[in-house]
Amino acid sequence: MKPCAFEYFDPQSVEEVFKLLDKLGDDAKILAGGQSLLPMINFRLARPEVLIDINKLDELDYIKEENGYICIGALTRERAIEDSELIKSKIPILSEAVKYIAFLPIRNKGTLGGSIAHADPSAELCLMMIALEAQIKIESSQDARWVDAEDFFLTYLTTVIEPHELITEIRMPIPAAETIHSFQSFSRRHGDFAIVSVAVVLEINDDGICEGAKIALGSVNPTPLRVAEAEDMLIGKKLDAKLIEAVANETAEASDPDPDLHSSADYKREMARNFTKKGLMQVLKRFEENA
Amino acid sequence: MKLEGTYRFNTAQEKVWEVLTNPKHLEKAIPGCEKLEEIEPGKYDATLKIGIAAIKGTYKGMAEVADPQPPDKYRLVVEGGGSPGFVKGEALIELSYQDQRTIVSYQGEGQVGGLIAGVGQRLISGIAKMMLGQFFKQIGKELKSL
Amino acid sequence: MSKEKGQSKWVGKSYPAKEILRYVRGRGEYIDDVKLPNMLHAADLRSPYAHARIKNIDADKALKLKGVKGVLLGHEIPDISNSFPAAGVSPKLKFYSMAVDKVRYMGEPVATVIAKNRYVAEDALDLIHVEYEPLPAVVDQEKALEEDAPILHEELGTNLINHRVLHWGDVDKVFREADVTVEDRFVFHSYAGTPIENFGVIAKFDPGEDFLTLWANFVGPFSLYFLLAMALRMRENKIRFIVPRDIGGSFGIKCGIFVDIVRIALVAKKYGRAVKWIQDRREHMVGGGRHSGRISYVKMAATKDGIITGIDEKWYEDVGAYMRAPEPACMYRPSGNYVGGYSFKDLRVDANAVALNKLESAPYRGYGCHLVYFNHERILDMLARKLDMDPVEIRMKNLINKDQFPYETPTGATYDSGDYKACLRKAVELFEYEKMRKMQKQAKKDGRLIGIGVAAGVDPSVSNMAYITVAYTPEERAEASYLPKSGGGETAFVKVDPSGTITVSMGTCQSGQSHESTIAQVVADEFGVSPAEVTVIDQMDTATHPFCVSTGSYSSRFASVATSAAALAARKVKEKMVKIAAHVLEASPEDIMAADGKFFVKGSPDISLSMKRVAGTAHWDPGSLPSGMEVGLSTQETFNFETSKTITADDKVNSSNTYGFMVDIAAVEVDPNTGKVDLLKYTTVHDVGTVLNPKFLEGQIYGAITQSIGGVFYEDYAYDENGQMVAASFADYLCPTAKEAPKKLDIGHVETPSPLTVLGSKGGAESSNETCPAALANAVEDALLPLDVTINELPLTPNKIWQLIQEAKEQK
Repeated sequence: MKPCAFEYFDPQSVEEVFKLLDKLGDDAKILAGGQSLLPMINFRLARPEVLIDINKLDELDYIKEENGYICIGALTRERAIEDSELIKSKIPILSEAVKYIAFLPIRNKGTLGGSIAHADPSAELCLMMIALEAQIKIESSQDARWVDAEDFFLTYLTTVIEPHELITEIRMPIPAAETIHSFQSFSRRHGDFAIVSVAVVLEINDDGICEGAKIALGSVNPTPLRVAEAEDMLIGKKLDAKLIEAVANETAEASDPDPDLHSSADYKREMARNFTKKGLMQVLKRFEENA
Repeated sequence: MKLEGTYRFNTAQEKVWEVLTNPKHLEKAIPGCEKLEEIEPGKYDATLKIGIAAIKGTYKGMAEVADPQPPDKYRLVVEGGGSPGFVKGEALIELSYQDQRTIVSYQGEGQVGGLIAGVGQRLISGIAKMMLGQFFKQIGKELKSL
Repeated sequence: MSKEKGQSKWVGKSYPAKEILRYVRGRGEYIDDVKLPNMLHAADLRSPYAHARIKNIDADKALKLKGVKGVLLGHEIPDISNSFPAAGVSPKLKFYSMAVDKVRYMGEPVATVIAKNRYVAEDALDLIHVEYEPLPAVVDQEKALEEDAPILHEELGTNLINHRVLHWGDVDKVFREADVTVEDRFVFHSYAGTPIENFGVIAKFDPGEDFLTLWANFVGPFSLYFLLAMALRMRENKIRFIVPRDIGGSFGIKCGIFVDIVRIALVAKKYGRAVKWIQDRREHMVGGGRHSGRISYVKMAATKDGIITGIDEKWYEDVGAYMRAPEPACMYRPSGNYVGGYSFKDLRVDANAVALNKLESAPYRGYGCHLVYFNHERILDMLARKLDMDPVEIRMKNLINKDQFPYETPTGATYDSGDYKACLRKAVELFEYEKMRKMQKQAKKDGRLIGIGVAAGVDPSVSNMAYITVAYTPEERAEASYLPKSGGGETAFVKVDPSGTITVSMGTCQSGQSHESTIAQVVADEFGVSPAEVTVIDQMDTATHPFCVSTGSYSSRFASVATSAAALAARKVKEKMVKIAAHVLEASPEDIMAADGKFFVKGSPDISLSMKRVAGTAHWDPGSLPSGMEVGLSTQETFNFETSKTITADDKVNSSNTYGFMVDIAAVEVDPNTGKVDLLKYTTVHDVGTVLNPKFLEGQIYGAITQSIGGVFYEDYAYDENGQMVAASFADYLCPTAKEAPKKLDIGHVETPSPLTVLGSKGGAESSNETCPAALANAVEDALLPLDVTINELPLTPNKIWQLIQEAKEQK
């Protein structure tokens, strides 16, 4: 499969990108790591008339800590996130989740901005945005706005980004000290799109009471899903097996997965329950180990 | 894939029937539909530009309001072929009036074939469901505009 | 004929494969590396419908596109080519290299465009408008035989395109008298070999000379070369067929490339140009090849002591929309070894090949055997359970004894050699069977679901071409127009140059199996030199290269017949050199030995001549040769088996020539929450006769088992109910990656040399592809016994296993 003909630009600065987007945005696609875009254009499923290659924009490639946030430039490679000691120590769940993205050669090219712009409901990084209540900076020649992750993903493969806009930065609040996490991902093979993935991020005080809860699922919804009903069940309570069972059931109820070639809807829902339970059990175990 | 569901509208059944069968409104409701041109009463030439995000395809085909039994039921058929393959949706649409609301229930099948079917399996079912949602959302808008 | 053990310096050793160096250095020469001047590139428009009439094709816009040279449409095809025949299939079934008035599977080519490059060719495809009239599709074998089923080939009026009832002995009597019977329905799905390199064809037609040159990554059998010549309505000596030196894997699938060769040749002929077509992955998935699937109804009769007395089975084979030769071999290739290693004599097979709106089936490693052994090994396990017998015990009772060889099977095979019980004993020992059973019991108490499965099978190698005639009824075979078939030979050419250097030419079209190094070992042993000194060319050029009708790499024949041909040819040249040395040294030929690159007198190693000296004499001074001796030092030998005879009137045929054996034992653990299966341990014992190179064989075994793990748990050539192929990329067709491959296999060997081959070797490349699926299925069922789950359908995806567990719970 060979792509359709396209015009190619490789701008050297962000300003150049904005100019190109203003002029050609409606017909253009941004090329970052290309790990999602290139298969689509090679299959001719996507036929952009213009490709704007932003791989020269080093200014968008960084990981830093600022005012209680971890700020990551949109062009930062998944591999860099995987290797980052800063992220490992400040947002360990992100460090863990990134390892599940496909394979190493793909992570060498794939970028954070590219992954979330693609908005695949199975993407680990999209799930992390929701689970960590990230904010995404979207810029154009006219404007720069911050969008909360929960407002950023609209549906399958669709975000709020307008044709003349570019993601430049993503920031995540650094989780509180008493945060314990678990990341679960269930797939057919190593590196496959997850059948279901679960991010559990709980704040548990010294008495074992849950003060904050974030439970998010991937692959069970058109966008990553925060399950507020399940989170509410945990607030103010002590984590135990019975509560975990109930929360897992609630999560399964809340997910409305679509069947695909590999899994029926019932099976996906059951796996959502299974792995939410597994995630919460791991959090409980980690809490008990630290105590 | 099976397509079935129910929608409720706070409008008279005749009005809902009108919006669901008149090409003027169907044109706006069918996702990606640019124009419906009548071939014969109830049958229309259609060009559909369907896609999601970067994945877009142009499908040439037709839409049909078949076996109409106003204002209670009919079969809606939409199909088209293009480079990425073909799409076809066919559903029996039934209307009834209860508690001052029109209930629209549909039951049918969606088919996707060719390239997209071969490489897009993971997302097809969800995207089809989503497009159905778009269809009925637009129907709702069309009703408001009456 | 076979050498005594200990005599060979190289055969039997793990000599490293030297061809690997060029592969890892990126210096392999594949079909895509072949570039001709003014070459055009082809792209095919393929049907999105599984079943439809073609009302109209309009390619005018495509032809006007800049860079496009031409287009070939289906309606032109019947005027310029013949339909492909297949054994046992009515000639009314027309099968061309492109759809003519109807498409019968999603992905069937409907038009071919040639352009200056593949990009433009694909742009042109977008401009071709096809008007289809969709028809209902059928994708299930049993549904396709129902009254109101859509018919694929209207001229036939049925989807049953080949049907044989094969009956040996008296199965009905056996079942009447049986102490116990077991029966079940099995569904074996379709999967394939997914070579890294897809099909590639270059066709160059010179209108002036009316001569066609073809390049393709074809692996044989070269009987299909003659088939494609017939289809092209050309004489073979007007077609030169070249196979590049390197092929990126095949696993049998590339036997089926001749259909694409014809299509590309036709477009090259139409425009008198050189045309290249490289199949991409998606095209390969929808249009390449896959093994057939099978729905079976199997019954087994036995005594109360567990002795099998007979099997009665009915098969409904998913062969896809057409019958692509050598199909229906998927059903008949193993006819000689249908009984496997067991001694029962009564068998009936009611084989039904059913046309479905899917890609046609093709040979794939294991070819037909994995389906037969799945049925037999699964039903045997069910019998064992019914009689409360251990699966190893029941097999030991039924296996043929070692003093019964050569063994005549009831279906006509002659098993050349074997010691099946020794293989089973060795496998049990290697697997630590008793210990594993104890561990299983303990694990059960802890609530873990661990299962152990055994499977044993006879591994046929070197097909006797006669097997294809099983597809014909005895009445058809009795007709005057029927021409009998037999044979499974291979040809090798060996020469020694004036300076004493050795070159071997083979046409076995290697695709990564280390043919060159293996032949080098074999020939080095014959001449007493080192393998590094032997040059092996394993390529094909029908104009210049020796080959016979059965030449190629398929049915695991290389290790058996190709090495025999090479050894034979080498031996002949060496014997001539011995005579020359004897003549020069004034000794008797019986007293001449060859070793370390020298010919010397036995007992007096100082009295010697170098290879160079002997060769030099033969080439530079033929006048001094013994009188009557021919000039030159080369020979072409074809090795054929005397055991390759044609079929009898009662359907008995020695379908292969050499027969190996394998026993596979697997231990698995099932996670009842997810349905995922973990492979805990896997032991396999092989008898491939004389082992030529243990390292190469080990690689084959790892590959066979990894592919089977893929086939059982991950891979599915899935078509939806409308005939859409829904796993047309590696995102959905799941091949095992390094992580899913077995970390460690316990491999054992038993060597019972074949009396039929020069070195005593048999084939071993397919081996565990044939028994692993049954072993794994047996193991999974054993694990799920506490939950009352029966395994009779593949693939065993996590969803499927979880589903079975839920259903079993609900039934309680």
